Amino acid sequence: MIADLAAATALLTLEGMLLDEQDWDGWLALYEADAEFWMPAWKSETQPTEDPLRELSLIYYPDRTGLEDRVQRIRSGKSVASTPLRRTAHMVGNVMLVGEEGGIASVKSSFNVHVYDTRTKTQHVFFGRTTHGLVRRDGALRIRRKKVILANDCVPTMLDIYCV
Amino acid sequence: MAPDSQAFNTPADLDRLLDDRTGEGWFSVHRDAFRDPAVFELEMKHIFEATWSFVGLESQVPNPNDFITTVIGRSPVVVMRDAQGRLGAFLNSCRHKGAVIFHTSEGNGAHHSCPYHGWTYDTAGKCVAITSQRQAGYPEAFGQIQHDLAPVARFGSYRGLMFASLSADVPSLEAYLGDARRAIDIIVDQGKDGIELVPGAVSFTYNANWKFQLENSSDTYHFIPTHTSYIGVLEKRRSARAASAPAGSIYEDIGAQAASRRGSFTFPHGHVLMWGDNPNMSARPLYPLLPEIEARVGKVMAKWMMYVRNLTLFPNVQFAENASMQLRIIRPLAVDRTEMLTYCVAPKGEPAESRVKRLRQYEDFFNPTGFATPDDTSAYEACQRGDDARTLDWQQGYVRGIGAVQAGGNAEAAELGITPDTSMVGGYLMGDETIFHGNYRAWLHLLKRGLEKR
Repeated sequence: MIADLAAATALLTLEGMLLDEQDWDGWLALYEADAEFWMPAWKSETQPTEDPLRELSLIYYPDRTGLEDRVQRIRSGKSVASTPLRRTAHMVGNVMLVGEEGGIASVKSSFNVHVYDTRTKTQHVFFGRTTHGLVRRDGALRIRRKKVILANDCVPTMLDIYCV
Repeated sequence: MAPDSQAFNTPADLDRLLDDRTGEGWFSVHRDAFRDPAVFELEMKHIFEATWSFVGLESQVPNPNDFITTVIGRSPVVVMRDAQGRLGAFLNSCRHKGAVIFHTSEGNGAHHSCPYHGWTYDTAGKCVAITSQRQAGYPEAFGQIQHDLAPVARFGSYRGLMFASLSADVPSLEAYLGDARRAIDIIVDQGKDGIELVPGAVSFTYNANWKFQLENSSDTYHFIPTHTSYIGVLEKRRSARAASAPAGSIYEDIGAQAASRRGSFTFPHGHVLMWGDNPNMSARPLYPLLPEIEARVGKVMAKWMMYVRNLTLFPNVQFAENASMQLRIIRPLAVDRTEMLTYCVAPKGEPAESRVKRLRQYEDFFNPTGFATPDDTSAYEACQRGDDARTLDWQQGYVRGIGAVQAGGNAEAAELGITPDTSMVGGYLMGDETIFHGNYRAWLHLLKRGLEKR
């Protein structure tokens, strides 16, 4: 067994906490170098896109360098959308082990992420569900893939990697 | 000083919003155009609800009884093919009590019932059933009035782009689009069978006036200052790749970008086209198709397809083609709030590797979840908040390029066989602002026309 429920829950909780604490290096370290990150767009009221090679995604990175690019932009101080950075609080729940295949444990969860913009003193909640693919490397659990289904996909101004 | 919101009674009252003196080297828009709710009300009534609006692509409704929903100004609209395949556009509002009939962005069905009392319509808009009509005790006169879905006043399409107007007092669609049609041809002819929307729609809102988006699409000046962090990411990717590897994005090597040209055309009725050289042509998803395109449409059109081009068809639609191709539908919600509906556009049947390149560059650049658009929308919001400085009046953002712009066409216009109102060509760093003049001249004309009628 790659992960039991307690270990998987701990990892997902840690990921949210690292993002809220803006510990970008700690967050990236949870991801395997070949980790796929995918947040599909919606093609109808009921159907997210299914093929990131033929259909549009909100975010699709075939490996971790996409996430590293996001962190570079956040840290650059040159993105008006990211400066000053919004404050967030991740709530991760409903964690369920789905199964294991090919050395990857599939874990489903639900999220809501509260996002606060200090400029306008306004807040927004992004919510949806996530499927993590977890692997065990050197005894530690790491993220091999992550798929985020964003339920409220009309984005108010911006959504960055720390908002889901 | 900020005018009183009640003060727009006659066409002349609107002159305080626009200072159009290009002959003297000056053009400006008053900040009230972005912050006064009274201006927004006039825009809804006399622009969005009084002229042609883009309502979709024919390829979104390919089959009989297909429909899509949209909004013109404040009015919900359904565009559909009837059982015989004929296109029509109607107000999406039950004649009984007004309920919206079509509740999804798209769908198919021969009959559509109001969810409230069950009045039923066919796809030609005809009311085919009023629930329990015989038992209702309706007065005789009720049988004499029209119960069908109200069609829009005018409906038409050009090269598969559908437009509708809630007012009949508009030029023909052909006359309205004028020579901007050539810019549509450059888009549609990219595929031998035309273009289509890539599955997956992306919508977002921003808390600022719709005209910030209208302008930004044509604004070459903002790219480097606003998108510095995106350019930084591209530089990082470039340095991580073998020197011999092809460019990953058309925006790689900002030095080559800065040596390229940027030009603009303005057309009657508010349409504008920004264009520019593309030094990293091979990063374009269209690039592998170039031989087929050249053989089909000729070298001039093919060259224009490879240029960076942002087209605005006033007032509500933009096609931005640079790293990928985006269709943007602008829906103003309030003087300080706007909703955008966006799609990735592709030639029908493009090869798999082109599609991947198109998608990845699109997501990076155009998505509100990407590296560039969030910085645009955040900048619009900064403008909206800053424009609340009520003792400031005129903007200083419509002057760059006044020394270079010329009336009528130039060599590039001749190449395309068009006669725009104005033409401009300059260096990348010129950051032309005369392109907005075309938008605002039409804007003022329509507002004035509305007040004249009143």
